[in-house]
Amino acid sequence: MIPNDILIVGGGIVGQITAIKLANAGAKVTVVDAGINAGSTANAGSLHVQMQSRFMRIYPDQVPNIEASLPLYLRAVEEWERIDAKYGPVEMIRKGGLMLAEDQKQLSFLEKKAKREAKKGVSVEILDRHALEQIAPWLGPHIIGAELCLNEGKVNPLVANRRLRAVADGLGVQFLQDRIQNLTVGKRVEAIGQTDTYQADRAVIAAAWGTGALVGNFGVTIPSVGEPLHMNITEACSARIDHLVQHAERSITLKQFKSGQIVIGGGWSANDRGLSQVPTVDPLSLLGNVSLAAQLVPTIGNLRIIRTWAGMNTTMDGASVIGPLPASDRLVMAVPGDAGYTLGPLVARLAANCLLGKADHSVIERYSPARFAN
Amino acid sequence: MTTDRFNFAGKSIGFREGQSIAAALTEAGQRVLRQSAKGENRGMFCGMGVCQDCLITIDGLPNQRACMTPAAFGLEIEPQIAFPQLNQMPVPPTATPAQILEPDVAIIGGGAGGLSAAIAARKAGSSVLVMDERKVAGGQYYKQSASHPPLDAQQAEGATLLKHAQESGAEIMGSVEIWGAFDGPLFLADVGGAALVVRPKTAIIATGAYERPRMVPGWTLPGVMTTGAAQTLWRSYRTTPGKRVVVCGSGPLNVQVALELAQGGSQVVMVAETASAPWQHPWISLKAITADPGLVFKGIGMMRELKRQSIPLRHQTSLHTIEQVEDGLRATFKTASGSEFSETVDVICMNDGFEPQNEVLRLLGASMTYDGAMGHLRCDRDRRMETSISNLFAVGDCAGLGGAPAARDEGTIAGRAAAARAGFGSAQDSYPEDRSLARHRNFQNYLWKLHDVRPKLPDTSAPETIVCRCEEITLGEILDGLETSPGHAGSLKRATRVGMGRCQGRYCGPVATRLVAQITGKPIEDLSHFAPRAPIKPIAISSILAAQEALDDPE
Ligand SMILES: Cc1cc2nc3c(=O)[nH]c(=O)nc-3n(C[C@H](O)[C@H](O)[C@H](O)COP(=O)(O)OP(=O)(O)OC[C@H]3O[C@@H](n4cnc5c(N)ncnc54)[C@H](O)[C@@H]3O)c2cc1C
Ligand SMILES: Cc1cc2nc3c(=O)[nH]c(=O)nc-3n(C[C@H](O)[C@H](O)[C@H](O)COP(=O)(O)OP(=O)(O)OC[C@H]3O[C@@H](n4cnc5c(N)ncnc54)[C@H](O)[C@@H]3O)c2cc1C
Ligand code: FES
Repeated sequence: MIPNDILIVGGGIVGQITAIKLANAGAKVTVVDAGINAGSTANAGSLHVQMQSRFMRIYPDQVPNIEASLPLYLRAVEEWERIDAKYGPVEMIRKGGLMLAEDQKQLSFLEKKAKREAKKGVSVEILDRHALEQIAPWLGPHIIGAELCLNEGKVNPLVANRRLRAVADGLGVQFLQDRIQNLTVGKRVEAIGQTDTYQADRAVIAAAWGTGALVGNFGVTIPSVGEPLHMNITEACSARIDHLVQHAERSITLKQFKSGQIVIGGGWSANDRGLSQVPTVDPLSLLGNVSLAAQLVPTIGNLRIIRTWAGMNTTMDGASVIGPLPASDRLVMAVPGDAGYTLGPLVARLAANCLLGKADHSVIERYSPARFAN
Repeated sequence: MTTDRFNFAGKSIGFREGQSIAAALTEAGQRVLRQSAKGENRGMFCGMGVCQDCLITIDGLPNQRACMTPAAFGLEIEPQIAFPQLNQMPVPPTATPAQILEPDVAIIGGGAGGLSAAIAARKAGSSVLVMDERKVAGGQYYKQSASHPPLDAQQAEGATLLKHAQESGAEIMGSVEIWGAFDGPLFLADVGGAALVVRPKTAIIATGAYERPRMVPGWTLPGVMTTGAAQTLWRSYRTTPGKRVVVCGSGPLNVQVALELAQGGSQVVMVAETASAPWQHPWISLKAITADPGLVFKGIGMMRELKRQSIPLRHQTSLHTIEQVEDGLRATFKTASGSEFSETVDVICMNDGFEPQNEVLRLLGASMTYDGAMGHLRCDRDRRMETSISNLFAVGDCAGLGGAPAARDEGTIAGRAAAARAGFGSAQDSYPEDRSLARHRNFQNYLWKLHDVRPKLPDTSAPETIVCRCEEITLGEILDGLETSPGHAGSLKRATRVGMGRCQGRYCGPVATRLVAQITGKPIEDLSHFAPRAPIKPIAISSILAAQEALDDPE
């Protein structure tokens, strides 16, 4: 039943964990990765559950998909717990996430959002200023309340990636650097790269922004788009920012790593230089994103930013793409929807299960690539 | 003559007018300035704002560099703890509005190259803004003092150059730290906590170089510093680094500084030079003499002076380890024959060559070529010093080591060319400068052949050697990381955190890159070192806030 050799295109969080699951089941696994613009090496490690106001504002048409995916995010965080226990520690902390409100209008928005989320099983509560001060004394005085989502948390992606890579190496997974140009499916899957050609029984496409182009010949148009995003990090301090902090209306995520450094991000754009180059930092994002952080947590004005970077996120229609292509079940999609690092381990498990003949049909049905059939 | 005092860790410390906090503390014998995350003591190392190891807390505000901050009356200074408490910090005052300047020619760095460029560009009629991180411009060669008359001909020459630049009508701003460079060009800077936004027509980068250390066990101990740091203490602040000093590495700076420190009253126990003696390379020595007899005789004069003062100069002798002992630092050296000997001193100065400060150029995308002999990147430029990015010029050591005389010529050529680009004068023939530049470059070529500045990898038999000062990553950890993620410097960085600290890989980056090249067998030319990113120096968030407000303003 277990295919004897499997090719995985894309070696980010999804590719790595899929490789581990399949290798654990006895398959011979090769991961081919272009070695550039992996969201997994650039991301901030926020474990998102509640609906991000940034998405609701920028992609209003995706809100139904995101809302319907809420149970998936809940499971995704559980999956991270398992990863942390089995392969970690990956500096996982789950104290919850705060979405801040500066005025009554924002707070009412959060109250409504919280009700919708509670219906999907998310643990949310609305905190007033007083309650907020108990857990986040560093917030500026103009914050009047917040939505607390207890399911949220954070991991350190650098630590997680390193650990997982070591596990995969230990299982004999082969990692190769190449960019796949074309895929064909006959008796076997053939993937033509820039430097070599790879054959396998079946292939998992975990290529994030590269996915749409790879499977365009198979009767599906997957709208995977690279989205260059900006991040900042401060020098270390002791602040006890245990929560993942966001804002009801404005784009920001702010949290503290175990190293004491505060990581500031939240979807500010970077300069796009195409998919084969790394995006560069846009000064306006640097200024805007960091300034917003200083407005929310005034004392961080005393700290210095030591580094910024830009990385490639992937957006689609707000939902993940998981499962075999309608045209050929030798090609299995494994592309997470928004907040892809959060979803990564779960998407990997669901995709691996498809190959191992134990697909979780009821879960993945709504994420099938069939929805993009031409 | 002590005129003022501040407090450090509860002790009252005297200082003299114009001294930096680091200089005053050194004079008072306070070498330990901060504690690392792993609980190690750290002190001043580079003396020029690069290493970020001299951090202290001033009036409750952490992360201030002692080497770049002038001493002032009544400051309450504490050694910096590894994790300053955010909730004990004052809420920063609303930042003063940022200044926006739009000169024809902006010059970053006010050393030999930058000041010469300023004079030439002003002469052509363009408006010029020179920005330097130091309070007083002059750069590394001319090292000016805020409060003392010139010490010697070198400093006097610098004072004259600075005076000419000032009189030319160029605006010269001190204490300006450029931290961001973006297409346009757009420069973002911090001026003592306030923000400065500069949008020039053309820009000349003249940021000089910093020193390459010798990474041996113990090189992060307080009391170990770069040769240039000791030189700055003496030349800019008339402070000797310590009583008993040993100077080691390779290159003429070590000999010069040994003499300067001796003049200042330190006992210099030895100058250890890794290279063999110049008389063992008569042909190259002869070439150097023909290229620039004056400078060679200056060098010979320095050797004689060492002898006269009985300071031994030991060739083919390199630093091996440093240990903290009861009465100071014990430095152990190895000779060519493999024998070892030790000296116990209170200060160890090291300089193993230079690394160009090319971060601004690389941020703006100027193309670079790897110079295998010097082991660093050289910026590609045309004859007018213009880089691959139009309207962006590079002069002096930041474009690749070349020395102060070459920096002056390059500055003059670029100053003229940049002004012409901005519509002033013409980039007329620079025949005299071109000629003297060729001569200086020729001399430099032979000079470095007589020394041993090819970058060396740390000794793998001492895996405990720290490579990344900031993140405290050892050679052993990096070698382990290389086994698991051999790809390139970037993945090694993510795997081990090497280069992720405050100095942003300025010391460990070149070493990590070389190790990657060695393991992968790829030529180092293929590797881009750690990608530079804004901010090129850590920048206070309050300053970013002020810059944001200025650029947001619809005005
Ligand atoms: C700056 C930033 C911050 C983020 N912060 C968060 C966060 O806090 N929380 C969160 O949940 N998510 C976050 N994300 C999103 C998250 O990082 C990504 O969604 C997630 O890492 C995607 O993982 P992946 O394995 O699907 O793909 P990736 O990690 O993107 O890997 C895809 C890989 O496929 C390779 N590839 C593509 N095409 C080809 C081809 N043709 N041939 C070979 N290889 C190919 C690429 O080179 C790449 O290495 C952030 C993203 C960015 C950019
Ligand atoms: C520590 C040191 C000591 C030296 N001592 C000697 C010596 O004694 N004798 C000798 O022959 N040669 C010496 N050299 C070499 C010599 O200094 C150089 O060859 C010469 O100074 C080159 O001139 P320059 O204009 O390129 O750079 P520099 O003279 O170094 O000038 C660069 C200037 O740029 C400024 N700067 C850098 N980055 C920024 C930034 N981000 N924002 C704002 N300003 C910035 C610096 O503060 C500096 O003033 C020394 C070099 C160093 C690094
Ligand atoms: S000694 Fe101050 S930054 Fe290096």
